[in-house]
Amino acid sequence: MRGFLWILPSFLGVMVFYLLPYADVVRRSFLGAVDNHFVGIENYKTVLGNTAFQLAVKNTFLFTLLCIPVLIVVALFCAVTLYKSKYGGIIKSAFLMPMALPAVSVALVWRLLFHSQGLLNHWLSDMNIAGNDWMNSGSAFWILFISYLWKNLGYDIVLWMAGLAGISSNIYEAARVDGAGEMQCFFYITLPNLKSSLYTITVLSFLNSFKVFREAYLVAGDYPHESIYMMQHLFNNWFRAFSFDKMAAAAVMESVVLLALIMLLQKAWDSKD
Amino acid sequence: MKCGKWRRVIGTLVAVSLICTSLAGCSKGGAGSKENDAQSTGEQAMGRFLEEEVDTGVKFKNIFDMKKLEDGSLRIVGTEEDSGESGVWESMDAGETWKSVYNLPAEVQDRGISWLDYAALSPGGQIVCAICEIVSGGSGTRPVLYLVDKEGKANKMSFELPQENPEEPAGDAEQPETEEGEQQAARMNYISKLYFPGNEWVVLQDGTGTVYQINVSDSSVKYTYELNSDMLGAPLCAVGNTLIVQDAAQALCYDLQTGEQKPSEEILSQSFVENDSFRAIDTLDGGESVYILFQGGLYHYKFGGNVMEHIIDGSINSLGAPAFFPIALTMIDEQNLLVAAEDINASSGTGVCVVKYTYSADTPVKPEKELKLYSLYENTAIRQCINRFQKEHPDLYINYQVALSEENGVTISDALKTLTTEIMVGNGPDVLLLDGMPVETYIEKGVLKDLSALSIESGGSYFENILNAYQGEDGQRYAVPARFKIPMMQAGSKYFSPGEDFNTFMERKDTMVNMPPREVVEKFWYTCGAAWQKEDKTLDQSKITEFLTKLKHAYGEYDSDVENNKTFFAFATKGEGTELVSDVDFSMGNMYLASGTWNTNFGLYKEMEYGLHKAVNEKLENGNLDLMPGQADHVFIPAQVMGISSKSAQPEMAEEFVKYLFSGEAQKIKQFGGFPVEKESFCGMIDGHQYEGKDGGATITFEGEIFEYDTVPTPEEEITKLTELVESLTTPCLQDDVIKETVVEQGEKVLKGEQSPEAGAAAIMQKVNLYLAE
Repeated sequence: MRGFLWILPSFLGVMVFYLLPYADVVRRSFLGAVDNHFVGIENYKTVLGNTAFQLAVKNTFLFTLLCIPVLIVVALFCAVTLYKSKYGGIIKSAFLMPMALPAVSVALVWRLLFHSQGLLNHWLSDMNIAGNDWMNSGSAFWILFISYLWKNLGYDIVLWMAGLAGISSNIYEAARVDGAGEMQCFFYITLPNLKSSLYTITVLSFLNSFKVFREAYLVAGDYPHESIYMMQHLFNNWFRAFSFDKMAAAAVMESVVLLALIMLLQKAWDSKD
Repeated sequence: MKCGKWRRVIGTLVAVSLICTSLAGCSKGGAGSKENDAQSTGEQAMGRFLEEEVDTGVKFKNIFDMKKLEDGSLRIVGTEEDSGESGVWESMDAGETWKSVYNLPAEVQDRGISWLDYAALSPGGQIVCAICEIVSGGSGTRPVLYLVDKEGKANKMSFELPQENPEEPAGDAEQPETEEGEQQAARMNYISKLYFPGNEWVVLQDGTGTVYQINVSDSSVKYTYELNSDMLGAPLCAVGNTLIVQDAAQALCYDLQTGEQKPSEEILSQSFVENDSFRAIDTLDGGESVYILFQGGLYHYKFGGNVMEHIIDGSINSLGAPAFFPIALTMIDEQNLLVAAEDINASSGTGVCVVKYTYSADTPVKPEKELKLYSLYENTAIRQCINRFQKEHPDLYINYQVALSEENGVTISDALKTLTTEIMVGNGPDVLLLDGMPVETYIEKGVLKDLSALSIESGGSYFENILNAYQGEDGQRYAVPARFKIPMMQAGSKYFSPGEDFNTFMERKDTMVNMPPREVVEKFWYTCGAAWQKEDKTLDQSKITEFLTKLKHAYGEYDSDVENNKTFFAFATKGEGTELVSDVDFSMGNMYLASGTWNTNFGLYKEMEYGLHKAVNEKLENGNLDLMPGQADHVFIPAQVMGISSKSAQPEMAEEFVKYLFSGEAQKIKQFGGFPVEKESFCGMIDGHQYEGKDGGATITFEGEIFEYDTVPTPEEEITKLTELVESLTTPCLQDDVIKETVVEQGEKVLKGEQSPEAGAAAIMQKVNLYLAE
C-alpha cells in the first residue's frame, strides 16, 4: 500500500495528462466532428479511404524506414571513431551543435539555400549547371532526409559513446592477447555489448524523426511537395478544418501501430537477451 | 529514523502542492478571473461616460474650432452648410442649445479669390482666422491672418510668413489642397496648423515645419521653434502655456512663456508613441494637466506626473470608430465634454457632428453583456456598425477580435488553428466575419448556425441572388454576405466589347500590356475559378490548363519593368478615413487606363464614381464598362460574409447583431467594404446624391498628367443599368484562399515564362488535390 502511495503522484500525472486524454480521443473517433453524434466506425472508414492519409502514411513510413537505419549506422561509425580519437570529446560537442540551433534558424537557412532563386541555384548557375526548384520537386525528400541526419547525428553519437564507455577495456585487452584484430573486436565485443543501447537509440531516433516536421512546415507551409507531406501536416490541416473526427480515428490507428512496433522491438530485444 | 519520517512528510507535501499547482493552472479562471469573480458575486465597478450626439440646430459644413470661454459659455466657429456663411455659434447651457452670435466679417468669408483655411478660438472669445488668398496674377496663394474680436470685428494682422524656398520643397509636410492646382501652391509657404491657446498668442506651423508664436497685440513673432527636418508634418498642439510636438519616439514640450524646451515627459511620450497620433487636446486648469483624445479614447495627464489616466474607452463609443475624426475637444468640466468631429455617418448628413459625453455614476464601467466578433482582417465597415449597434445597446460590449495585423505577424493558418481551439473549448466568438475563412468547410463541419430563420429580408428589399450565395439545397443559410463586389472591365472598343466571352477577349492582343502578372492572374481567378470545380468538388485540370494557356497568350511577353512601375493609391474622403486601394480593386486601374499606361482596366468593382467612369470612357475610343469576361458567367464576390458560431454562448444577441448588419442603417455605412445587398442602400451609394445641385469637379494627378472630371450625380438610367446587372449575377466566385494562393503563385510563373501552362496546371493540381483530399 505504501508503495502505491509513492507512485500515486506520477500515476495521477500519467492518468490526467495521458490516459484520460487518450480515452477521450478514442471516444471521439466514434463521434461526429463538432456535433458529437455517434457515427460508429464511419470515421475509420473515411480515414482509411482518404488519399491524403494514404500519402502521409506512405511518406512517414518511407522516411522512418530510410532515416533510422542510416542514422544509427552512421552515428555508430562516428562514435567508434571518435571514441578512439584523442580529440573525440571536443569533436563530439561539435556534432551536438545542430541540436542547439532553433528550428526557425534552420528553416531560414533552408529557404536561403534551396529556394528556386536561392544560393544553391546561384552557385550551380555559376558552374553552368541547371538549377532546380528544390523544395517543390522530389529533391525535397532528400533535403529533409539530410537535415534529419545532420540534426540528430550528434545526439546518437553521444548515446553510442555512452554505450561504448560501458564496455570494459579488459575485454578488448584479453581479446587482443588472444590475437583478435580491430574488426573482430568490433563485431564480437563492441556490437554485442551495445545491444542494450541500440534499443534506446532506435526508440529515441524514431521519436526524433517526428520532429523534422517543424523544419518542413516552416519552409514549405501547410502544403509542401507531396514527397514530404507527413502525418503531422495532415493532422495540422485537419485540426484547422475542424476535422476532429478524422483526426481522432487516425490518431488511434497511429498509436496502435506505434505501440505494436515498440512492443515488437522490445520483445525482439528481450528474447535475444 | 526520525529524520527519514520527516523526509517522507516533506516529500509528500511537495508532491501534493505540485499536483495542486498544476491542476490550478488548468482552472478556467485565467487572467480575467478577478473580474469574473466580481461579476459572479454581484460586485461591479460603476461609472462610465455616456455618449449622445448634440442637436445644435445648425447644419455645419465645417467646424474649425470649439472652445469653452472664460465666462463659461461655449463657442463654435464654423461654416453653415446651406448658406455657406462662416460664423460663430454660442451655447450658454453646456451645449444643450446653440444660437448664432455673428457671421464672420466679409474679409474672412469665402470670396472666390480667398477662402477660410483655419480658425482658432481663444479663451477670451477672440478668433484668429487664416485666409488663403490668391496672389495677383494667379501665380499662387498666400496665407493672411485676421484677428476677429468677441463682437465680430476683423483686423488684419501684419504677420507674414517667410517665403518658402522654391528649390527646397517642404518634404513630407502636409500640402494644402487648392482648386488652382497643387503644383503652384507647393512652391508657396502656407499654414498647416493654427492654435490660439491663450489670449495673448497665436501658435501656427508653416509648410517648412517651423512653428511661430505670434503676439496678437502687435503681430510680432515672440518665439520661433525650429523643428528637426524629420519632424516636418509631425503632430503638434498648443494648450495653456505648453506647445507639444510629437515625433516618432517622444513628445517634446516647449514653454510658451519662455520659448524653452521643458524637461521630457516620459509617460506622455510613451502614450503618444503607443497610441499613434493624438486627435484633439484641451485643459481645465490652464494647462497644468491635459485631456487628450487618441483613437483609444480620452486620456488625462498631469505634467510632471507618472500616470496617463484612461478616462473614456474608445472601443465602446464613437471615439474609436474608424470614420470618426475629432476636430476639437472641449472639456466643460470633469464630467462633461464635447467633441466636434468629422463623421460621414453622422445624423446631420453633412459629415460633421458634435458629440457630448456625460459621466454617469450609475452605469457599469464595462457593459454587462459581451458579444465576441472575430475576423481575420481589420474591417472598418464592421467596426462602424459595431459602434452604431453599441449606441443602441448601451448594456452591450462587442469585443471585436482581429486575428491578423502587421504587428503580430500571425499567419492565416495559425490564426485559424487558434480559432478552432477557442471554439472547441467553448471560448470562441459568437459572430464570425468569414473573410478568408474556409466557409464551405465550416458549414460542412457544423461550425456555423443556420440563419434562415433570421428573416433578414424583413428589413427591406434585397438582392436575393447575393444573399443566397451560400444557401444549401435544403434552403438552409449558414453564411450570408452583407456586401459584394463585381468583377468589371473598362476599355475602348478595340480591346473590349460589353458581354464578350472569355475566349474572344483572350484572342485580342495587347489587352494587358504593362500589367503586373500576379494581379492579372488573381483578377481572372475570380471570374474563372468558379468554373473549375466539378460536382465532386475536385478541380478540372483541363479547364485550368485552358485558363493558363489563354491567359499567357493574351498576356504576351513578360517585361520585368512592370513590377517597378506599380503605384499605391490611398483614397480619403471627408469623414470616411483612408483606404489603401488593393491591387485587385477596379479603382486601382482608373488612372492607368486614363493615362494610357494600360489598355484595359479590370478588377473588383465596389463603389461607383459615375463622373470618373464617364470621363475615362470619353477619353477612350468608344469606351465601355461591363462585366469582366471569365470562364464562369455572371460572377460576383461575396464580401463581409457573416456567420454565427453554432457554439455561441449568446445566440439571440448574435442574431440581433447580424440582423442589424443587414438593416438599412448599417447597410448605408460607406467604408470601402463593397456594395450593400440592400437595394435602397445600394442605390444611395451609387447615385452620387452628394453632388446634387453642386457644380464641382475633381482633379487627379498621375505620373505628371492631370486628369479632370466633373463630379455629377449618376443618371437614373445608369443606376437602373447597374441594378439590373447586379440582379443578373448568379455565380459566387470560388472563395478558397488555399486554392487561390496556389493558382496565383503558379499562374504568375506561367505569365513570367518560368514554366509552361501545362506544368503550371499540374503543379496546381498536385497541391490542390492534396488539400481537397484532406
